[in-house]
Amino acid sequence: MDEIRQRLMKCFQVVFPALPQEKISGASPETVAEWDSVAGLTLMNVIEDEFGVQIDLDDLAGLDSFERYRAYLEKRAASA
Amino acid sequence: MTITEALKITQSAPRDARPFAVTLVCGCTPLHLQTFLAAHLQQALPERRVTIATGLYGDLRGTLQRVSEAELPDVLAVTLEWADLDPRLDFRSAGAWGRQSVSDIVAGVPTALEAVFLALERVPGGPRIALSLPTLPLPPLFHTAGWQSSEHEAALQAALMQFAAALAERGRVALLNVQRLAEDSPAGERLDLKTHLYTGFPYTAQHADKLAARLACLLAPPAPKKGIISDLDDTLWSGIVGEVGPEAVSWDLAGHAQLHGLYQKLLASLAEGGTLIAVASKNDPAAVQKTFERPDLLLRAERVFPIEVHWNAKSGSVGRILEAWNIGADSVVFVDDSPMELAEVAAAHPGIECVLFPKDDYNACLAMMRRLRDMCGKERVSQDDAMRLESLRQSAMFREQASGGATPESFLQQLGATVTFDFGAWNEPRVLELVNKTNQFNLNGRRYTEADWRKLASAAGALVAALSYEDKFGPLGTIAVAAGRVSDGTLTLESWVMSCRAFARRIEHQTLKLLFEATRAERIVFDFMPTAKNGPLREFFASLLEAEPQAGFELTRSAFESKCPALYHQVREMRRAEAHG
Repeated sequence: MDEIRQRLMKCFQVVFPALPQEKISGASPETVAEWDSVAGLTLMNVIEDEFGVQIDLDDLAGLDSFERYRAYLEKRAASA
Repeated sequence: MTITEALKITQSAPRDARPFAVTLVCGCTPLHLQTFLAAHLQQALPERRVTIATGLYGDLRGTLQRVSEAELPDVLAVTLEWADLDPRLDFRSAGAWGRQSVSDIVAGVPTALEAVFLALERVPGGPRIALSLPTLPLPPLFHTAGWQSSEHEAALQAALMQFAAALAERGRVALLNVQRLAEDSPAGERLDLKTHLYTGFPYTAQHADKLAARLACLLAPPAPKKGIISDLDDTLWSGIVGEVGPEAVSWDLAGHAQLHGLYQKLLASLAEGGTLIAVASKNDPAAVQKTFERPDLLLRAERVFPIEVHWNAKSGSVGRILEAWNIGADSVVFVDDSPMELAEVAAAHPGIECVLFPKDDYNACLAMMRRLRDMCGKERVSQDDAMRLESLRQSAMFREQASGGATPESFLQQLGATVTFDFGAWNEPRVLELVNKTNQFNLNGRRYTEADWRKLASAAGALVAALSYEDKFGPLGTIAVAAGRVSDGTLTLESWVMSCRAFARRIEHQTLKLLFEATRAERIVFDFMPTAKNGPLREFFASLLEAEPQAGFELTRSAFESKCPALYHQVREMRRAEAHG
C-alpha cells in the first residue's frame, strides 16, 4: 500500500509541481488553488498512465482528494 | 507521448528563456491538446519557453477575431472540427437530426467556412498559422448507411476541400496533411465520446498527441536538408553498370526496377525545388558517363553536381562534395544500398544523415522515399531555389579561376560584378529563409519566427537590406541580408547573414560600405556572438579589427575605410526612399 502512496504522490507532483511534498497527502480542490476541472482531468489521466488503469468519468466527481484517490486505487488493487 | 511525459516536458522549459507565444484556436475544451501541443513545441524549441493561450468554448471564429485585437502571438494553431461549422454537427448538440436540418446544415457550412477564411485573412501578418481540417467523424445524421456517402456528406466534403484549396493557394496558412495524420491516428480511434459529452474535450489522448505533434511540425518545422548524395549501382539504378554495361542497368517496370525509377523521379523533383543532388559511387567513370547519357534516365545529368566516380573511399567523395557545395555534413543526406558504405561515411562525417536504400523491400523503399521528401520538402519554391545548382557550378568555376594564374585583384576587377541592395524586401519569404538557415556567415546564429522578424523590421529606425549578386559567371540570386536599426548616428546590426556561395567576392565589404553611406551612420554596433559555425564571419571581423571580435563590438566608419580593400562592384539600390525615407 505504501507503494501506491508513493506512486500517487509522484502523480500529484507532476500535475501540481508547485505543491510542497508535505502538503500532497492533504491535497484537495480546497487546499490546492490550481486544482480546477482541467487539472482534475489531467490528474486523472496521469494516474491512469501511472497505474495502467481506466478510471470511469462517473467516478471522477468522488475523486476529489489525495486520500480518496489512494483509497480508490487500493480498492482496485485489492479486487484485481 | 503520454500526458505525464508531456507535462514533464513543459515543466522542464527554461524559466528565463524567451517566450514562444502560441494561440490555440479551437472550439472545444483544449485540455490535453493544449498540454500535448505545448510539449511537442517545447521539444522542437528547447531554447524557448512555450506558452499557450486559448479562447472560449464553442467560439472558434471569435477566438480568431480576438487574435487581431490583442498582442500578436508567435504562432496560431487552428483545429477546425465539423462542430465549429454548425452546432448541429456536434455530438453535444440538442438540435434535431432530419432531412430538413441536414439540408440546412449543407446550405450553411460554406458560409461558415467563408467566415473562418475571412477571419484567418484578417489576422495581421507575422504569426505563422497552422490549421487542421476536421479530424473527427460526422455524426450519423445522413439518410444512407454508414458505408455509403450521401449527397449531403459529399457536398460538405466538397465545401471543405474548396476552403482548403483556397487557403493553400493564399499561402498564409500551413495546412495539416490529413492523410498523413490518418496513418498515425486511425479515424476510428480519435473520438472519445464520453469525455466529449462530460467535459467538452472530444479527442482520445492518443489522437490529441498525434494531432498536436503534426501541428507542432507545421508551426516549428525542422530546417530542410540542403542536399542528397546518392550511390549509383543498385540505388539510382538496378544492376552493376561496370559488369553489365550502361545499356543493361534498368529503372523501369520491364526490368522489375521501377523502385529505382521512382527514386530517380523523386531526386529530379527535389532538384527542381532546389535540393542539391550529387553522386558518390565506386565505379567505372566511363560506364557511368555513358549511363548518364541515356535519354531515358529520369534524373538528368545536368541536375547532378558534383559526380564523384572512382574506386577510392566514399568518405573522400562526400568530403569533396560538401566542399563544392560549401555546406556542413549535418545539412546533407547520404543514400546507399550498402550498410558498410553508410557506416564508413557516417564515421568520417559526423552529423550526416545516412539512409539505406532497401532495394529488396518495396514498402521500406517507399517509406525511405517519403522520409527523403520529409527531410528535404519545402513550403514554397523560390526563384533562388531553382537557380541554386547552377550558381554552385558557377561558384566552382569561380574558385577554379580565382586560384588559377591571375592575381586575386585582377580577377576581381574582371568579374563584372553587380551588387543590388533592396531595402524593401524584408517580407519576402527568401529573406527570412536565408536568415534562418545560414550558419557560417551569421552574426549571432539567431533564428527568427515570422512574428519576430516583422517586429524587427517594423521597429523605429529599422533597416533591412537584402542583397543579390551577379557577375560574368551568372546570377547568385539573393545571397545576403543585413537587418538592424539606426539611431543617433549609430547603426546597430542585429542580424547579418551571407550565403557561403558568395564568399571571396568582397560582398561583405561592399555591404558595410553601403550601409555606412545609406544610413550616414558614423559607427556600426554589431550584435555579434560567436557560434560553433560562424568562423568565416569571425575571421572577416578579425581582419577589420586586427583582433578577435567581442560580443557587441563597434566599428567606426574611419576604421572601416582604413581597412576596406578596393571594391569593383557596380552597386544598385532599390526601394531605399520608399522603405526608410
